[in-house]
Amino acid sequence: MKQPKSLTREQYLKQFSRAVRWRLPPRESEDAIADYRELIFQEERDESKLVEELGEPVQAAHLLTDVKSYRRWLAVFAVLAYGLFLLAKWDFTGHSSIYLSSHDQWWYPVWVMAVGMALSLYWFRRHGQKNGPLSRRLAPALAAVLVVGVVVIGWAWHVMSPEWLERAAMEPFGGPLGRQAWMLGDMLMYGGVFCALAALTGLVLAKCYDRRWLALYILGVTVAAMMGFMTFQLKSMDVSSGATDMLRSYLFARLIPIGAAGLVGTGVALC
Amino acid sequence: MLKKDLLELCLLQLLDGGDKYGYEVLVPLRTAFPDTQESAIYALLRGLGKEKLTSWYMAPGGGGPDRKYYKLTPEGRTRLEELSGQWRRMRDAIASFGVE
Repeated sequence: MKQPKSLTREQYLKQFSRAVRWRLPPRESEDAIADYRELIFQEERDESKLVEELGEPVQAAHLLTDVKSYRRWLAVFAVLAYGLFLLAKWDFTGHSSIYLSSHDQWWYPVWVMAVGMALSLYWFRRHGQKNGPLSRRLAPALAAVLVVGVVVIGWAWHVMSPEWLERAAMEPFGGPLGRQAWMLGDMLMYGGVFCALAALTGLVLAKCYDRRWLALYILGVTVAAMMGFMTFQLKSMDVSSGATDMLRSYLFARLIPIGAAGLVGTGVALC
Repeated sequence: MLKKDLLELCLLQLLDGGDKYGYEVLVPLRTAFPDTQESAIYALLRGLGKEKLTSWYMAPGGGGPDRKYYKLTPEGRTRLEELSGQWRRMRDAIASFGVE
């Protein structure tokens, strides 16, 4: 027979807390963790028999789980996480292996953002919970994503100005302006992946601690989608066509409403 | 009666004897049902709270931090009587076959 592994009280509580936070709504999980803390730290309790007496931490958390609603959460999480994976992939590689002949590829990231925003807001407004005062880490996390978004989009605004494009057209290959354009490409790649990862973190924290962390998911998914939109647009634009003054206004006329929708969603998630 | 019902009966009976904190409830039940882990008994105790059969309050523990004490509600007492009746009927039925 398999011997139960030995855990210290702290290790047991840590593993149990992690498992229960993922499965239960925040207030219920805090309540269960407080109860287990009391049970585990009983003076009479023999630490070496902790797993034998209480069971494996994950199994203990599973016993408290409402399996139906947990499966629903897993399905929602799978959809949202897959959306983030697609955004990160599109931002990083600059192309999609999905082709719909009736739609332009640059709108794919915006669809992912729209589905992600609608589904996550619906689920968390219905099943999520606020848990105490707003976390102090949320504001810096939001600021970091916002700064990345503003810097990358600001750099794109600079690089796509008609004057810049005209000068770049006359510059020999490998000049400083060319390097600036390469830099925009790198910023879109890594900035997009960073925002998708921040969004994933926000999603997990919204489930485990407080639904207001969803604001980080929505802002992250918005900025990642804007970067994906820009990447696809820039790859399909013909810069040598001479219509350089049109490029920037065309792109930003679409980016601004996308960003505004994301900011509204972020605000709703914080309420 | 299922084993779960028997555990529930014993748990409610324990609380009928006075308010108890978690460890005080879990240990005698684990001793009586050695193949049942405390986490399963705790899940049952939590389920009873959700069904409003028990309630809880915080009170000072023996020199340590406050403890969560569980108590039986009137609905819990009704459920205890119901389960006790079922248990007595089952015990009599089994005894009628000569099982001691």
